[in-house]
Amino acid sequence: MLRKILIANRGEIALRIIQACRELGIATVAVHSTADRESLHVTYADEAICIGPPASRESYLDVSSIVSAAEITGADGVHPGYGFLAENADFAEVVEDCKLTWIGPRPRSIRLMGDKAAARRTAEDAGVPVLPGSREPLTDARAARALADELGYPVILKAVAGGGGRGMRIVRAGEELEGLLATAGQEASKAFGDGSIYIEKYLVQPRHVEFQVLADGHGRVVHLGERECSIQRRHQKLIEEAPSPALTPELRSAMGEAAVRLSASVGYENAGTIEFLLDEDGSFYFMEMNTRIQVEHPVTEMVSGVDLVKWQIRIASGEPLTLPEGDFVPNGHAIECRINAEDPERFTPSPGRIDVYHPPGGPGIRVDTHAYEHYRIPPHYDSLVAKLIAWGEDRAEAVARMQRALDFFVVEGIKTTIPLHQRIMADRDFRAGRFSTRFMESFLAKKG
Amino acid sequence: MLTFEQIKELIDLVSERELQGVEIERSGFKVRIDGKARGASPSTPPVQPAPAAAPAPAAPAPRPAVAGSDANAPAEEPELPEGGHVVTSPIVGTFYAAPNPESDPYVRVGDRVKTGQVLCIVEAMKLMNEIESDADGVILEIYVKNAQPVEYGEPLFALQTA
Repeated sequence: MLRKILIANRGEIALRIIQACRELGIATVAVHSTADRESLHVTYADEAICIGPPASRESYLDVSSIVSAAEITGADGVHPGYGFLAENADFAEVVEDCKLTWIGPRPRSIRLMGDKAAARRTAEDAGVPVLPGSREPLTDARAARALADELGYPVILKAVAGGGGRGMRIVRAGEELEGLLATAGQEASKAFGDGSIYIEKYLVQPRHVEFQVLADGHGRVVHLGERECSIQRRHQKLIEEAPSPALTPELRSAMGEAAVRLSASVGYENAGTIEFLLDEDGSFYFMEMNTRIQVEHPVTEMVSGVDLVKWQIRIASGEPLTLPEGDFVPNGHAIECRINAEDPERFTPSPGRIDVYHPPGGPGIRVDTHAYEHYRIPPHYDSLVAKLIAWGEDRAEAVARMQRALDFFVVEGIKTTIPLHQRIMADRDFRAGRFSTRFMESFLAKKG
Repeated sequence: MLTFEQIKELIDLVSERELQGVEIERSGFKVRIDGKARGASPSTPPVQPAPAAAPAPAAPAPRPAVAGSDANAPAEEPELPEGGHVVTSPIVGTFYAAPNPESDPYVRVGDRVKTGQVLCIVEAMKLMNEIESDADGVILEIYVKNAQPVEYGEPLFALQTA
């Protein structure tokens, strides 16, 4: 078992990792920027090293500072958390070259799954469905039209070289294709210097459903069920839940099996998440794989009873998975609301000093947070203040508990998205489990 | 024009840091907040209050060692006389006073140094980084011991610049 772990992260996830280490009897080293001196992860770690000024680039993303900190403290393991350097294969390699244990998958897995085209090919090779589309960039309008007709409308045109919505066009009927192909290509050319476009089937109202996998270094791969993450605004998740209201045990079995098959086919180790798009007709398609622990991991922990972070550490220490065999059956229902320091209507950031802070408690409530009364939220990093998780015997109880907990969550001095979550919990469609990734768009339009 | 929230933040700042006061002026608007602890003069800039001038500088408050300590108190600002300047470590690593174990240290207390002059080495990942002085002056104090681990911003040397 590792003796001393350096947490290459900050905020609530750094605290989460420290908690797991504490329970396992492992010493902890926190690294922090000058802006995070008062941070809770610094307070609770056994040792803390200041690694740079506030800017992430010069602190939490600075590989040499972090590795030096591991060196001078004698850490033997590094946990990267999520974000920052968690999916930076180069960093993982440097850590391993320095004879430190990387708590995560092999660097080659990080690299493979970080390449979207390679990840997609890997999924296909493993017999996992991917969104049908063109393998190569489109050569001309006629070939594109033929392919689009075959896929069935609507289809989406996407830039090979890019993202962020640019060089993207949705085509709803064949006649539109030629014109949209031309404009998409021009836009892509201007934005990325490469006008190549590929085509994909466009799902109108998909759900974002992801599966948690755990794999040890001894060839065993299991899944711990799904998380429903369709409540998103601009591709940022706001609310996650487990299990998904849309999954039958059969679908869970099929999707879970696909996730395990894909992970096993690349010799994956440690924790990972496979993201699928789920269509209204029950077809599912591989989107991408995240080779790290995720923000929303608590909802899986609540319905599985498994401490994912502790398992990450055990697996990295060489221990085999001892989870029971057999199909995964979730116990009860869990929902997580991400409480951000933002204006609940305009989503503008609201950093500053928390004057009053009283998180909720009571049955079935878990709060993962690094915030405390009089804590000053620095403006340099993300706006996550707390993750509020509610568990119930069924979805209705989880929702009721979440509402009660949101009502009793007191945060003053900064704005938070608590009022937004309260409104979503009261929404008829949300309560009925009736939504897709389009939910927030129409929800925000509704109240306006 | 400052908002009420911004003025409240300034008041907190003055109070928490025990400043003598702070004064802000923009076109058509000026606000001054006086600290409670001392009478403030209008032109006092917002700085840490200087200790009573003494011939020798006060020793810095004891800092916990970086490795294996219970408390994670930040490296405290050493107290300095007028014209005092602290050279801090720009990187994480291990402090060495001399270029190699057989040599004399780069500098001693009392030495006069120039900007750009190498004061010490901080070793990180097997690379020896020469740390240069960012001011001209006389070495008043050396805060760290040979082979001591240092973090970003750790005070290394006190210089008398005036």
